[in-house]
Amino acid sequence: MGFFFQELVNGITTGALYALVALGFSMVYGVLKLLNFAHGDLYMIGAYVGFFVIQWFGGPSALSISVPLLLLIMFVLAGGLVGGLGVAIERFAYRPLRDAPRIAPLITAIGISFFLENAALLLFGAQFRVYNTADFISLSSGITIGSVTIDSVQIMVLVLGLLLTVGLRELVNRTKLGKQMRAVAADREAAEMMGINVNFTISATFFLGSALAGVAGVMGGLLFNQVTPTIGFIVGLKAFTAAVVGGIGSLPGAMLGGLLIGVAESMITGYISSTYTNLFVFALLIVVMLVRPSGLLGRAQLQKV
Amino acid sequence: MSLDSPPPPAGPPPAGPQVGADEWVARQARRREYLPSWLGHAQRQAERVGWWPRLALVGLAAAALPLIGLGGFQLQVGIDALVIALLAVGLNITVGWTGLLDLGYVAFFGCGAYGFALVSSGQVGANGIHLPSYLSIPLVMLATAALGVLVGLPSRRLVGDYLAIITLFFGEAFVEFTNNVAPATLGGPNGIVGIDPISVFGYQITSNTGYYLLLVIVLVVTMAVLRLLEFSRTGRAWRAVREDPLAAGSMTIPVDRVKLMAFAFGAAVAALAGTIFAAQQISVFPTDFDTPILILIYAGLILGGAGSIAGAATGALLIMVIYDGLLRSPTDSGYLFYGLILLTLLVKLRPWRRLGLVLAATVALGFAVHAIATAISARAVAGSLSSTGWIGSALHDWVIVPANATVAGNWGFVALVCLLIALVQAGSRTRTILLPPTLYLAAFVWETRLSVEPAVTRQLMIGAILIVMMNARPQGLLGQRRVEAIT
Amino acid sequence: MSTDANEAGMAGPEGSGAGGESVLQLQSLSLSFGGLRALSELDLQLRDREIVSLIGPNGAGKTSVFNVITGVYEPSAGDVVFAGKSIAGLTPHNIARMGVARTFQSLRLFLNMSVMENVMAATYGHTKAMPWESVLRLPRARREERESRALATDVLSFFGQRLAGYRWDQPAYSLSYANRRRLEIARALATRPRLLLLDEPAAGMNPTETHEVTELISRLRDERGVAILVIEHDMHVVASCSDRVVALDHGVKIAEGSFDAVASHPAVVEAYLGRDPEALSDAG
Repeated sequence: MGFFFQELVNGITTGALYALVALGFSMVYGVLKLLNFAHGDLYMIGAYVGFFVIQWFGGPSALSISVPLLLLIMFVLAGGLVGGLGVAIERFAYRPLRDAPRIAPLITAIGISFFLENAALLLFGAQFRVYNTADFISLSSGITIGSVTIDSVQIMVLVLGLLLTVGLRELVNRTKLGKQMRAVAADREAAEMMGINVNFTISATFFLGSALAGVAGVMGGLLFNQVTPTIGFIVGLKAFTAAVVGGIGSLPGAMLGGLLIGVAESMITGYISSTYTNLFVFALLIVVMLVRPSGLLGRAQLQKV
Repeated sequence: MSLDSPPPPAGPPPAGPQVGADEWVARQARRREYLPSWLGHAQRQAERVGWWPRLALVGLAAAALPLIGLGGFQLQVGIDALVIALLAVGLNITVGWTGLLDLGYVAFFGCGAYGFALVSSGQVGANGIHLPSYLSIPLVMLATAALGVLVGLPSRRLVGDYLAIITLFFGEAFVEFTNNVAPATLGGPNGIVGIDPISVFGYQITSNTGYYLLLVIVLVVTMAVLRLLEFSRTGRAWRAVREDPLAAGSMTIPVDRVKLMAFAFGAAVAALAGTIFAAQQISVFPTDFDTPILILIYAGLILGGAGSIAGAATGALLIMVIYDGLLRSPTDSGYLFYGLILLTLLVKLRPWRRLGLVLAATVALGFAVHAIATAISARAVAGSLSSTGWIGSALHDWVIVPANATVAGNWGFVALVCLLIALVQAGSRTRTILLPPTLYLAAFVWETRLSVEPAVTRQLMIGAILIVMMNARPQGLLGQRRVEAIT
Repeated sequence: MSTDANEAGMAGPEGSGAGGESVLQLQSLSLSFGGLRALSELDLQLRDREIVSLIGPNGAGKTSVFNVITGVYEPSAGDVVFAGKSIAGLTPHNIARMGVARTFQSLRLFLNMSVMENVMAATYGHTKAMPWESVLRLPRARREERESRALATDVLSFFGQRLAGYRWDQPAYSLSYANRRRLEIARALATRPRLLLLDEPAAGMNPTETHEVTELISRLRDERGVAILVIEHDMHVVASCSDRVVALDHGVKIAEGSFDAVASHPAVVEAYLGRDPEALSDAG
């Protein structure tokens, strides 16, 4: 039983990470109705930012600043830079295509994803970059309940994930910006007529969504330790799955989907075999889409004639 | 509001057609779009000939290439290009005509290759299965078409984005599947080796020239078949479904069945390409059918123009020649790089005076930068160019290559991307001013980084082509611009 | 005046101009989306070669009636009987193949296909050539292609000079608004319908064109022999072409009969103008 709960904890932690990526993905889909295939690559860039911050301050075993400060710098810098990158991508690649046929921005997004991945390959090289989290954060200093251990990195990921999610929900539901985002998501043209600055709102959405992916990238680096240019693709794929399973465009849905995928993945790895994890996640997606095409928490859209 | 009596109509109906502005535009405007400058002129001339003499002529010319001394590496490039062209032409059925974003297409290619490999090698059973190719190829195509129908099934309920995700996962699942499942049969990461050659009329094709000719014939025939299909009842139904599925349904078109047919046909063409690919390579590996290949096929289709058969083939051939050409020696790929830049400038930059001005400014800028850098520090020009030969000596005093070329080149790359974006956003005058530094920086990044890592460079190029084409010319080189009703 | 009292009085399918057998019957048809009732207990009958207009204020459920008949929506209760067979729940293309054709209020042409192709695409359901027959140009494929082209030429020439030959190879998006509406009708005719559903054929047209539409609707019945159900807001069109008028409000039939009777019916006046006494006296 202890093994089960340990796997559950691990699954929830990974799930929180997927959920963060899925949240940004879902937000962008909400306002632009665009599947941003490049979203996973933003996660990858975030992970690299975190890695270089560690190197900048002397490397994992000889840090020149305190660990909390380092973490703060990592998260803020990754969020800010990746958020800015997201805004730039939207501004230069997606904005000209807003009124183009639906397929055009999708293909552009695929191109951007491919471009980012290979740019990272060119700039950072193909070799594994290692965070060596254990060198500066003591993994044993966590909570132990019975035979289940939640190490400190996991706690941090869970707490931060929860905070960001709650913060995002409050932002979308309570603030003026959130109201604008919801208006643009519902009907872009009508929102524009009502005096909402649509371009700004979309940029802000891209910033927030991309920043979440960047932060998740640092978390991923801390959790899994390794960074390569190709990690974005598979995490992006999992995040799509999470967003779609939960109901694309729905923020609670993205959360739920992320956790579901994380836990499912961890259980499969723990009880069956890690070989079939991705195939299983794929099967889960197919089943959900065939049974409930609008996702678990999504609303079915009425066909307009 | 008086509903009682209809007033007389406002005026007598016109006797004949009134030629208003709208009508005039409709009558006069040539709605066909052509390539810029002399390329478009050539295109117009080509159009005067019917489609099949054109296709036959191009096919014959392509078939004649090995006779005039195409061989070795060039022939392999030709074969790769033809395979990708065949794939792009097949992808055009689902993406270009039916409007279904099929991101699992490369898996059909893989199924064709693996299917052929299984029934034409010693992989299965004690002695293996060695079906004759006139049996195995149609069999594999049919099986893959059936699989296409299966994968297309979600398309009945899912449109657009959802279908893209499902099919993308299907493509990923194929790679995972071949990598992990039944390693004794599928070979895992080691793939299947020792595949029989294809035999046509009792003649075994073993040489690359043979496969090149086979591919030319297969591509030409496939293009002809698809052309005949495009303007048949089936082709019209496909395009009608792309334009408006709901209206198509109300006009007696069974939308679901038509979509599945598109999937099946696309899959069959991909399988055909796969069988030839497997026989020519003699081996298949899971990585041959991974996402980069998919994106390559898409880039070819988009570059040429989705919806146009000739466009799909041309785009794919063009992209593959550049793609494989970049893998040659730095000097040879340098010809390609600088040649393409010059060609683009020649086609795009008008008037001639402006072109001359930009080129002169670029040359001057280069020498100036080089002189200044030399004066400041010897380290700034301590590195050596990756281009050799006459390009190398021509650029020697023009491009600076610092001692730590990799780091400088990386920063240069980031700056180049920023400059290119600025160039696109800028107005005409600013663009002229920005062009010389951009060109110089491009040469700098090429010499320090891009030509050093050609494998990454060509992938970058594919990504960039997708982004740039979608923004600058979404209809591709030979396609027709499409309008879409905003609803 | 109360709305519920009027239903019984006006109802009853006494088709004025046309006799013949019943083509379409809606039997206590209901449609709801979640809690919203778009149509409730709607009865309607159309005879052969009859022109019936469907009027009502915006949101009355007129287009929903079309969508249920053509199979876009499935009715939540009741039945749709076309030519003696129940068609409720069938797929749109099957319904279309049985002889129900429609046009769309929001113009849903195949914009990037040529005018001729738009019409020829609609012959899909009545042709049978398999793809390989088309590729090999076998006799059946060639015959069907010829017939489709002939049919398309025929329905396009129905509009005289408006959709004349030089336009046939132009993409549909190059057409003017009025011509797009005409092309929609031509495309619907190419499905060889027995019943034609026209959704606001005169919307957005100038008075001359509107007059043409009025004549066109009568000609469609006379020359093509179709029964027509037409949604129209332009009362001149409704008055001059309909055999019978049905008024809807909030998914409920509030009046049915000749144009004059329906137009002056208090429930209809109220549906359009509200309960304002002054407006009522004006209309009366």
